[in-house]
Amino acid sequence: MIDAKGVCRVFDDGERGRLTVLDGATLQVADGEFVAVVGRSGSGKSTLLHVLGGLDTGYRGEVTVAGVRLDGLSDAALSRFRNETVGFVFQSFHLVSGVSALENVMLPARFAASPPADLEARARAALERVGLPSHAARSPGQLSGGERQRVAIARALFASPRLLLCDEPTGNLDAATADDIVALFKQLNASGLTIVAVTHEDRLRAAASRVLTLSGGRLS
Amino acid sequence: MSASVWPLVRLSLSRDRRSALSSTFGLAVGVASLVFFVSLGLGVGRVVREKVFPVDSSLVEVVPASFSLGLLGGGKLDDTAVARLEALPGVSRVFKKMNVRAPAVTIYRGDFFGRPLHMGLEVLAVGVEPDFVKRDVLMGEFVDPGPDKPIPALASTRLLEIYNKSFAPQRSLPQLSGQMLTGFVFPIDFNRSFVTATPPSASSIPAQAQLVGVSDRALLAGVTIPLDVARRLNRTANLDDVTFTAVTVQTADPSAVPLVVEAVKAMGLSVDDQERRMAENAGAAVAISTSSLALLSVLICVLAAFNIAHAFSAAVRAREKELGVMRAVGATRAALFRLVLAEALLLGLVGGLVGTLVALAAGLALDATATSLLPPFPFKPESWFLRPPWLLAGGVGLGVLAAAGGAFFPARRAAATDPARVLAG
Ligand SMILES: Nc1ncnc2c1ncn2[C@@H]1O[C@H](COP(=O)(O)OP(=O)(O)O)[C@@H](O)[C@H]1O
Ligand SMILES: [Mg+2]
Repeated sequence: MIDAKGVCRVFDDGERGRLTVLDGATLQVADGEFVAVVGRSGSGKSTLLHVLGGLDTGYRGEVTVAGVRLDGLSDAALSRFRNETVGFVFQSFHLVSGVSALENVMLPARFAASPPADLEARARAALERVGLPSHAARSPGQLSGGERQRVAIARALFASPRLLLCDEPTGNLDAATADDIVALFKQLNASGLTIVAVTHEDRLRAAASRVLTLSGGRLS
Repeated sequence: MSASVWPLVRLSLSRDRRSALSSTFGLAVGVASLVFFVSLGLGVGRVVREKVFPVDSSLVEVVPASFSLGLLGGGKLDDTAVARLEALPGVSRVFKKMNVRAPAVTIYRGDFFGRPLHMGLEVLAVGVEPDFVKRDVLMGEFVDPGPDKPIPALASTRLLEIYNKSFAPQRSLPQLSGQMLTGFVFPIDFNRSFVTATPPSASSIPAQAQLVGVSDRALLAGVTIPLDVARRLNRTANLDDVTFTAVTVQTADPSAVPLVVEAVKAMGLSVDDQERRMAENAGAAVAISTSSLALLSVLICVLAAFNIAHAFSAAVRAREKELGVMRAVGATRAALFRLVLAEALLLGLVGGLVGTLVALAAGLALDATATSLLPPFPFKPESWFLRPPWLLAGGVGLGVLAAAGGAFFPARRAAATDPARVLAG
């Protein structure tokens, strides 16, 4: 599913000069794996996910995800890749405020090359999959933290991606809710979805089939 | 633009209704004032052009030189000069005019459309060629009927307008139309004057005139009669009956006028462009005031565009994370640019439409008020406004353009959102 070789990412960081965050990182992930990447804050975990998900383009190295060679791809092709092949889940959910959960889940379809005709049915199915069948009409403000993250996961699942990229998905949740979300990830993984989650929490690490550590810009 | 972005446009506009409303309002004000003033300017311009100074731009009025060139005869408007004018390139026809060179008065004593009228007036009479006024003659032939028969005469359309709108109402005289006047017979005594001493040798030549219509081409303060009648009267009074007072030169095309004017001057003749100048001055005054008001309106639209730029910049900044998420779920940079621009275009369309409709409504209301509240006056038009389709389309277009202009840089900024930066953490 993922084949990343020698990924280097250097940020131009103003007064601090150049900051090397990824320094030849290499990663292979097989289809159906649930990989947890751990590392201290600032070690480059988010940066790694952005590279794998086609959100970042400023790196050097070879990155192939789901058979798509990402480095050097155009904005249009990368956008299409993000739209169809990967789903992102963020620590702070990043739902669009003021619009319904259903509309949030449908967001990827608004930018799809050929949006499906049965948008709403698909969005409802995604909400059902994350255990929120009756919350479609609520806006993010009317949802709890755990529910928000479930809606965000439903949005990530909407386009039936092959890979889920999760950036500290339980970081903003209380312990019990975090356990529920981890259980959901395990369930999704069991149904065949490949998951890469970056975290510094034990419960995700425990759920993963493989744990990697990011340190000094490399994975081990 | 992918059709599926419109739901997002609608959502984000409905989420921030206040800002959307204020942006739309600003545009509507600018568009409304532009459409209103241009429409008014066009309307008033039309009144000036068609009613107050109806100048035919293909005509040149040639008169003898205002200064004498001595005995050489330069600047004399006789048959030779007319033949030379006729031969000028660009000239399609010439129409000769000759004043009745004797003074004339009309003394009316009798029934005037149902009212007793008693008055004496000094009148000017000018003879013109029948073809010059043919289209306005409603009765009989416009030729010399011979002595002792009523002379066919045309009155000025403008004179009739002034009579109807200010003279008649003040004296409670009836309103008249060209049709009603046609056939009206009145006495006219040539070689007689109330103001200048008539030479003792001359004896008055009594005649009757009969109105056969009204014409834009008729003399404003006088009567217009067949050329041959003017000639005959001059001959009878032992006055000059060969020199023309003026010659109206019809050019094939208004663009030929400057060349013809030059040739006329080279012949030692002058061009009477008083009417044309008045029309041009009045037209220019209207055009200048219209353009300055239009400019002001465009300025309002520019301000509205700045207002939109400001509001959209703030919105794009506030929606940074949202835009980042859109990138994460598959939006291209171009899609975000179009999304923000589409929001502005929708506001522009609504603002443009509302502004245009408000301007139209204001114009109609003013027309209705003017019709019912203002007293009749000369050249009072039925409508003070012209509403050509291009103006209405232009109003809507200006709204859209101003909105798009205002949103351009914010849209670029939205497109440049770096999702990796705004979504991390
Ligand atoms: N766009 C950026 N510009 C400059 N520095 C950045 C940028 N993104 C991340 N960094 C820096 O790179 C380092 C790694 O960031 P990140 O990948 O977010 O770490 P983690 O997710 O492990 O906490 C941090 O020091 C951060 O300040
Ligand atoms: Mg991070």
